Amino acid sequence: MNDPLNVVGRSVERSDGIGHVTGRTVFASDHVVPGMLHLKMVRSPLHHARIRGIDTSDAERVPGFVRALTAADVPHNRYTILGLIGVEPEEEFVLAEERVRFKGEAMVAIVAETEEAAYEAVAKVHLDLEELPAVFDVEEALKPGAPVVTHWGNNTFMYEGHPCRRVRLGDVEAAFARADHIVEGVYDTSPIEHAPTETTGCIAVPEANGRYTVYTNTQALYFSLDNTSIILQVPGNQLHFVGGTVGGGFGGKVDVIVEPIATLAAMKTNRPVRYVYSRAEEMQVSSTRSAWRIYLKDGVTADGHIIARKVTSYADSGAYSRQTPYALTKHAANAAGPYAIPNVSIDAYCVYTNRQPTSAMRGFGVTMASFALEVQMDKIAELVGLDPWTIRFLNAYHDGDMKPHRKLAEDATLIETMQAAAALVGHDLAPDLKAMTSAPRGRRGEESGRP
Amino acid sequence: MTVHSYYLPRSLPEALDLLADHGPSLLVMAGGTVVMPLINEGLSLPEAVMGLRRAGLDRLERTDGMLTIGATATLTQLLEQDAVPMLRDAARNTASWSIRNMGTVGGNLFTPPPGGDVAVALLALDATVTLASATARRDLPLADFYTGFMTDRLADDELLVEVRVPIPTAPTAYIKFGRKHANTPAVVTVAVRLAWDGGAVTDARIALGAVGPHPIRARDAERWLIGTTLGPDAIAAAASAAAKECEPFTDAIATDWYRRRMTGVFVARALEQLAPGAGGKGG
Amino acid sequence: MASTIVTFELGDDREVEVMVRPMTTLQTVLRNQLGLTATKEGCRQGGCGSCAVLVDGEPMLSCLLPVEDVAGRRVTTLESLTPTEGLHPIQQAFIDGYAFQCGYCTPGMVIVAAALLDHDSAPSVDDIRWALAGNICRCTGYGPIVEAIGAAAETIGAGQVEEPR
Repeated sequence: MNDPLNVVGRSVERSDGIGHVTGRTVFASDHVVPGMLHLKMVRSPLHHARIRGIDTSDAERVPGFVRALTAADVPHNRYTILGLIGVEPEEEFVLAEERVRFKGEAMVAIVAETEEAAYEAVAKVHLDLEELPAVFDVEEALKPGAPVVTHWGNNTFMYEGHPCRRVRLGDVEAAFARADHIVEGVYDTSPIEHAPTETTGCIAVPEANGRYTVYTNTQALYFSLDNTSIILQVPGNQLHFVGGTVGGGFGGKVDVIVEPIATLAAMKTNRPVRYVYSRAEEMQVSSTRSAWRIYLKDGVTADGHIIARKVTSYADSGAYSRQTPYALTKHAANAAGPYAIPNVSIDAYCVYTNRQPTSAMRGFGVTMASFALEVQMDKIAELVGLDPWTIRFLNAYHDGDMKPHRKLAEDATLIETMQAAAALVGHDLAPDLKAMTSAPRGRRGEESGRP
Repeated sequence: MTVHSYYLPRSLPEALDLLADHGPSLLVMAGGTVVMPLINEGLSLPEAVMGLRRAGLDRLERTDGMLTIGATATLTQLLEQDAVPMLRDAARNTASWSIRNMGTVGGNLFTPPPGGDVAVALLALDATVTLASATARRDLPLADFYTGFMTDRLADDELLVEVRVPIPTAPTAYIKFGRKHANTPAVVTVAVRLAWDGGAVTDARIALGAVGPHPIRARDAERWLIGTTLGPDAIAAAASAAAKECEPFTDAIATDWYRRRMTGVFVARALEQLAPGAGGKGG
Repeated sequence: MASTIVTFELGDDREVEVMVRPMTTLQTVLRNQLGLTATKEGCRQGGCGSCAVLVDGEPMLSCLLPVEDVAGRRVTTLESLTPTEGLHPIQQAFIDGYAFQCGYCTPGMVIVAAALLDHDSAPSVDDIRWALAGNICRCTGYGPIVEAIGAAAETIGAGQVEEPR
């Protein structure tokens, strides 16, 4: 075939391969701009505190100091990343205002001629903070009397007036009453840091035509540009965001954290400003995958059918919610698993604590549900005396089954995937499991036209 | 840099004169693997720094049953010598290839726990350190060098210049347990050297790393071994004593209780390597 | 102390003279003063290996090296290793073996691999893993990188290719 567009079935060199192996690929902080200033951040040393005062007078005397920016300098300081898709309210601050809500929260941006001068000036900013009680656990945060993290008075994100995402199908309580077994479990996962080899960062450059070019390693270029436009109250067409190659994202570079303040600093100084996280900031300040706590209660028949599943999940959003409300929505749609369960109740909470804000990471909302659900399946298997394969084949969903969030299953493939996996690992399935298909239940055993 | 002055003296006398002139405000650096991260992060903002890489302190020499190691001999140099296998093991278990090319034996003595994996071996080997000032020079057993967490007997006007190690004649054992196989801080590091007469242990050195404010000797454990044939009961008793007497801490790598348990496990394993009939390695 | 002038050799064919304030790191000199940005910055702690360069042929971490310490020595960066035409066998092996995803750790990996193959023309898988213990990759899981270096060793051995240095 001479057709240069026919690449299916062929191995093709990656278009960025030569750049990567020669080091010519340009990452955000490979842009070295003459006259660049360096931004380093003063961060809260406390988990939760009222800000009584900020004194930059000693910092200003450091040779090479150029400018300090606080909340008052930011045109629209309170924002929420997901505001662009209609999520409310605005709750996070570019620079802390009145209160700090997590250890490491950005408070004062110091801009200086050199990194060392910036570090020295940061160390010389005096903070007058009144420490407040802090909460670090999702269930503690929901108890009456717990320290309140948000500015609207409770510690949950509100979904259309409700404190959690709710999914209801059938009647779990009636099904529990007639089940032969009740199986319960509580599953905890830890926060996970993306730890990309390249840290989060950007360089904002004033251009001759009055625009600002921002070289950034964000995964979400338009999110970053549009939110920066809102925060700085400038039209989007004044901003030129240049991204492209991200040195490791995994969901950790979607939070619009460095661009707004770096661009503001460039505006206020009329010089290029570089703001790149140190390794310590990347590990301890940048968002992580949320920690989750998932309570499962299943009603199971003697022969291994799950007839009821009640899920109560708590995601630790940390001090600000960022992408976590979206994670909860995805979670609620998937939290009963790829199984046909006729009675399901899911309450999924996005909870605020004084921990590091959490956000997106690979499969967020769903991966930890899989952990909890599959451990639970193994428990059920052991209880009713079935092997782990059989319990899953028995409960697998088929095309046409009603999923808990009231959507009919289409293109269900759990059964076929398990059959392929069994073949790969050399596990011999019983004939009836080998013969199963995901065809709709009324037509089980008939040719479904699927591979 | 806020650093105003960076000195790279070409000889020990030049280095000692600089130290005498500047006093304790002069930050001394050898391989840079401990100091540079602090400077890079803005945690250390020194005005004057002295690097020892070119001061001629990097010789490694074997004479008459003694290995003399210059303070700025690199960990790679230690890895490449064959006079003392335990020091090869220690170097192999420390950091990564690049860090070993830069990090020094002397610097490892000042690396705070859980670091100091070479220092642990030197402690078990009864190393002696030589400390020099512009006017004097003295030797000190490494066992007497540490006084507490990041404190030691080095005076403000002194530099560590040399480490001397009697070359052991009997097999030794060295195990570093970390969460990864390489380039990882220790959960616990164990170094053992025994002296034998016939089938009986006549002297013992058990040094532990990452379970105290600095590398420590497990002296109770050592006492359990004297006069025994290093059978299973003696090993169990010594391991248990080591676990009791160590002073582990909790950090991002491991909790104190886990370090204490692993001390018992790995002291036992190290001793088992040296037990009669074990075909233990080392020499 | 005022700024000083530091001279060192860069690659095979170039002497470099830079004016630096005291203790400017080699990493900063390469990236900010010489425009050689193949050497990356990932941690400035010596933990990630993305800043690795060769000093007199031996791998070191440029983020921990004051440039004064390499005065008079030969520094090899990924730019020095890359031939003016074509690619170094290690670079080609990385491309052929898809031994990268985001590409950020790649320069450090190639540098250490070059030093390894210079010391040992037929390293085992364990030898390769051992040599790379100081280089972090968050994307690939290391497998393709180890395989690519093994493949490069075979290519170099089979073809008696003169390694550009």
